[in-house]
Amino acid sequence: MIKHHPTFELIQSFVNGDLPASLSIGIKLHAEMCSQCQKQIAQLTEQVADNAFESENSFAVNDNDIFDFESIISDITESDDIDDVSVEINKTINFKNKAYPLPKALNNVSVGKTANIGKLSRARLQLDEEEIHTNLLHFNPGGGVPEHTHKGFELTVLLDGSFTDHKGEYTKGDFIMLDGTFTHQPISEKGCLCYTVANDALHFTQGINKLLNPIGNFIY
Amino acid sequence: MIVVQTELPISIGHAKSKRMINNTEVQELNGWLKAVANSRCKIAFTHLFKFFAPKIQRIARSKFTNEAQAHEAVQETMSNVWRKAHLFDADKGAATTWVYTVMRNVIFDLLRKMKSNREDNLSDDIWPIAESTVSDDDIYEDHLENKKLLHGIESLPEAQQQVVKGFYLMEMSQEQLATHLNLPLGTIKSRLRLALSKLKVQLGEDHD
Ligand SMILES: [Zn+2]
Repeated sequence: MIKHHPTFELIQSFVNGDLPASLSIGIKLHAEMCSQCQKQIAQLTEQVADNAFESENSFAVNDNDIFDFESIISDITESDDIDDVSVEINKTINFKNKAYPLPKALNNVSVGKTANIGKLSRARLQLDEEEIHTNLLHFNPGGGVPEHTHKGFELTVLLDGSFTDHKGEYTKGDFIMLDGTFTHQPISEKGCLCYTVANDALHFTQGINKLLNPIGNFIY
Repeated sequence: MIVVQTELPISIGHAKSKRMINNTEVQELNGWLKAVANSRCKIAFTHLFKFFAPKIQRIARSKFTNEAQAHEAVQETMSNVWRKAHLFDADKGAATTWVYTVMRNVIFDLLRKMKSNREDNLSDDIWPIAESTVSDDDIYEDHLENKKLLHGIESLPEAQQQVVKGFYLMEMSQEQLATHLNLPLGTIKSRLRLALSKLKVQLGEDHD
């Protein structure tokens, strides 16, 4: 059962199209697994659309300073071509010999090569959003990330399996947004696949784990 | 009294009762959009253009810094309306919601092209303009399909049943099944193959 959802503010920015692609995809991935948020998004979109197109906001329709209506319309309607919906493609992605269906929201995202460290595997999603990095992160059973601290934000959408940290257990569909400075130590007993977005490398905090700081850069 | 102005003046719960665009207007817009889809009607498209283009222009101006980009957003949105009208389904929402989605997607892709220099056009994957909402009929058919499938599985020999149930219902890998059932991997594979061909025959997929 999904326990963690995006905040209303995030959903609102999502509907407005104001979030970066990485976070927009994160919300879309969650909504595909969460009918409650899906419904909220649909209602909000209807409302925002009404707002955007209400009549009072209209300029004088024959304002030819803005548009040469006739010529644009005839340019557009000159062609009889229609756009077909792209054929549904079902891609898969492999981690440690297990194939996972790639979420449709990622169909046109270029996925980098998978890199492995111990029980962790990472495939970078090449969204090119400067300091925001997006990955698919796979934990083999028993895999975990040693205690580490973030600055900035870290979003995890659990696509398959489950993991736990000091706050409890997270299951498939959970949308976990951590913000500010925080310390945690996720571990996945049975293995899991996550979509992660972060804007700052992780820093390992405890004793010998400090030696692991290269892993922080690996996951980020 | 201080009134705090939020971006959204209406709360979710009142969406239906306080619609800013009245029903007749929505019906009219829906009708034009359908006319474009069904008969490529240029008159209907002109009506749509005159209703939407100035509003899209106003919104685009708030998102882009230069006039040329705002203009491109309007043209691209309206030309998508012309080319994709057949994807609009009035049963699933109002024309305004659909055109909004088309517009938001165009603006999102244009902004992304500017900021990240990427032309991957991700918007339609994030906000599909032909979203197939699951209707009750679909669910019903799914149930029927599932029932047929489960029935089919039950009628398989016990050894094949085990493998099919483990693989499809419990989502175990073939390797996990081999360990779990203490059988060679090859046996698992051949049992699965056999079971699947039987199921296909039962479900009537052997006709094509
Ligand atoms: Zn949710």
